[in-house]
Amino acid sequence: MALLEVHNLVKAFGGLKANDDVSFSVDKGEMLGLIGPNGAGKTTLFNCIAGMFPPTSGRIVFAGEDVTALGAHEMARRGLARTFQVYVAGGDLNVLENVMVGCFMHTRFQSQARAKAEGILEDLGLRDLKSNLVSELPVAAQKRVTMATALATSPKLLLLDEVAAGLNPSEIEDIMAGIRHIHSDLGITVMLIEHVMELVMNISQRVVVLDYGKKIAEGLPQDIASDPQVIKAYLGERYVRERAGS
Amino acid sequence: MEAIKNALDFSDSPKIDQMVALAVFGLLLAFPLFPHSAFAMATMIQFLMFSLYGMGWNTIGGYGGQVDLGKAQYVGIGAYTTTVCLLRWDIPFWVSMPIGACLAIGWSFIIGYPLFKLKGHYFAIATIATSLVLKDLFEIWKFVGAARGLGILPFKYQTPDFLRLIFKEDIYYYYVIFAFFVIGLLYMNWFRKSRLGFQLRSIKDNEEVARSLGINVHWAKIKTYAIATAFVSVVGSFHAVYVKNIEPEDTMSLDISILIALMAMLGGAGSLWGPIIGAGVLIPLKSYLKEWLGAAAGLLGIDLIIYGLIIMIISAFEPRGLWGIVAKIRRRKRI
Repeated sequence: MALLEVHNLVKAFGGLKANDDVSFSVDKGEMLGLIGPNGAGKTTLFNCIAGMFPPTSGRIVFAGEDVTALGAHEMARRGLARTFQVYVAGGDLNVLENVMVGCFMHTRFQSQARAKAEGILEDLGLRDLKSNLVSELPVAAQKRVTMATALATSPKLLLLDEVAAGLNPSEIEDIMAGIRHIHSDLGITVMLIEHVMELVMNISQRVVVLDYGKKIAEGLPQDIASDPQVIKAYLGERYVRERAGS
Repeated sequence: MEAIKNALDFSDSPKIDQMVALAVFGLLLAFPLFPHSAFAMATMIQFLMFSLYGMGWNTIGGYGGQVDLGKAQYVGIGAYTTTVCLLRWDIPFWVSMPIGACLAIGWSFIIGYPLFKLKGHYFAIATIATSLVLKDLFEIWKFVGAARGLGILPFKYQTPDFLRLIFKEDIYYYYVIFAFFVIGLLYMNWFRKSRLGFQLRSIKDNEEVARSLGINVHWAKIKTYAIATAFVSVVGSFHAVYVKNIEPEDTMSLDISILIALMAMLGGAGSLWGPIIGAGVLIPLKSYLKEWLGAAAGLLGIDLIIYGLIIMIISAFEPRGLWGIVAKIRRRKRI
């Protein structure tokens, strides 16, 4: 059953079509990867789905309800959470308090929000960092905090925007384990934008490829990796050679 | 129940803060018992009033990061409601104060809805504009005495009048505003730990993130603005019976708005103690400068020069004010 359906979505900024007639769906319990070169419109697509701004045309259906016109906070309340590519928290909220903000979506009580937030931090291995300011943390920990904050709203669908960007190989391993844990143990449907191919090809069950705002391919990771159009637009010959070599 | 527990619970502040707060509380409670001049008494009442104004400002301006420079309009609404109710219909303070607060909150919704579509400096300027427009309207509105304002004549009442809050001695006023001060402080202690408090801090940090966490940013700001308004209007009502003579020029002027914001920022926007510290520094400074320099202070504009300097120093060195400096030193020591 499709949890999220996107029908003929167009998002234009003036004359520029950041998303051009994109259609796809995400099934409940799936892990879907979204790849494409820089400027292909991946984050714009996320922003449209998450209600950060309305699409120019097209339709978005979430859990059987037409949500095209809904704002971001209404999407969050319906069970959609997202992380942000650049997460600069310059404020005075520490890690625990950041996660508590998400928890307050479901409760009025500070004690309940705190208990839930502490559980999530424990679960993602962030307990020791809970009283640090987010801006003091290394990038890898910041990325995990954004995931924890998004999880705090108890989402049905989690959109991850480049959570592995800027991480070293061992940190990528960690974050990959974290995503797997969210997906299989917590049972949350995940859709991720990623440039780190080893991550996205490894954990996605299905991959959608965008180029110049258009969907150019969709399918199993191994099929995508050998799709000539995708290789030309994004993966490049080198990626194919390396894969063949390894 | 949890709300009351949170309001009374200061245990997340360091021990030393709790001790200092308790000592200050004791001093404030006992102050009228010590020998003091009428001038010192008036200054202390001003200090408590402006602490409360600052606490109100701190909800939206401090925790929410929306710099509001139009608080004087709500001082005016509170003060005028109480005075008009008393003079026209002999309605006691304890009834007219909530009426004033309701009117102020109603007005805050009307202007808050469009105002919060604006951000940053545009928001700040728009709050100034609304406040000045309201002041101009009051200056030509005959029913409320136009530019000459309204006066309460204390000898008409049997003092001490606890219903209408008409007293001859300032000590009564002191304890009334002190009670408000304590209630206000407990409310703020609850507020900063409440859901709305957390949501506002998230909004201040990053509105996009806040929205993605299910927060209706526009509505959260409007709600908080109404809370800030209620604080200011209640103290405005008190101002009316305390000063007994109100006119648009001194209850609703831009000076009041700026002073309220400035105090909270000087003490530390977005912190529990900030507005009190700010009022504790600025109000005596303002009063004593006036006392020493007499009419010359107004001519020279000394107080304005000092405000200007303070704004420059805060924005250049420590945007979180005096409390920010304390917090910084503490963080450094711990690391």
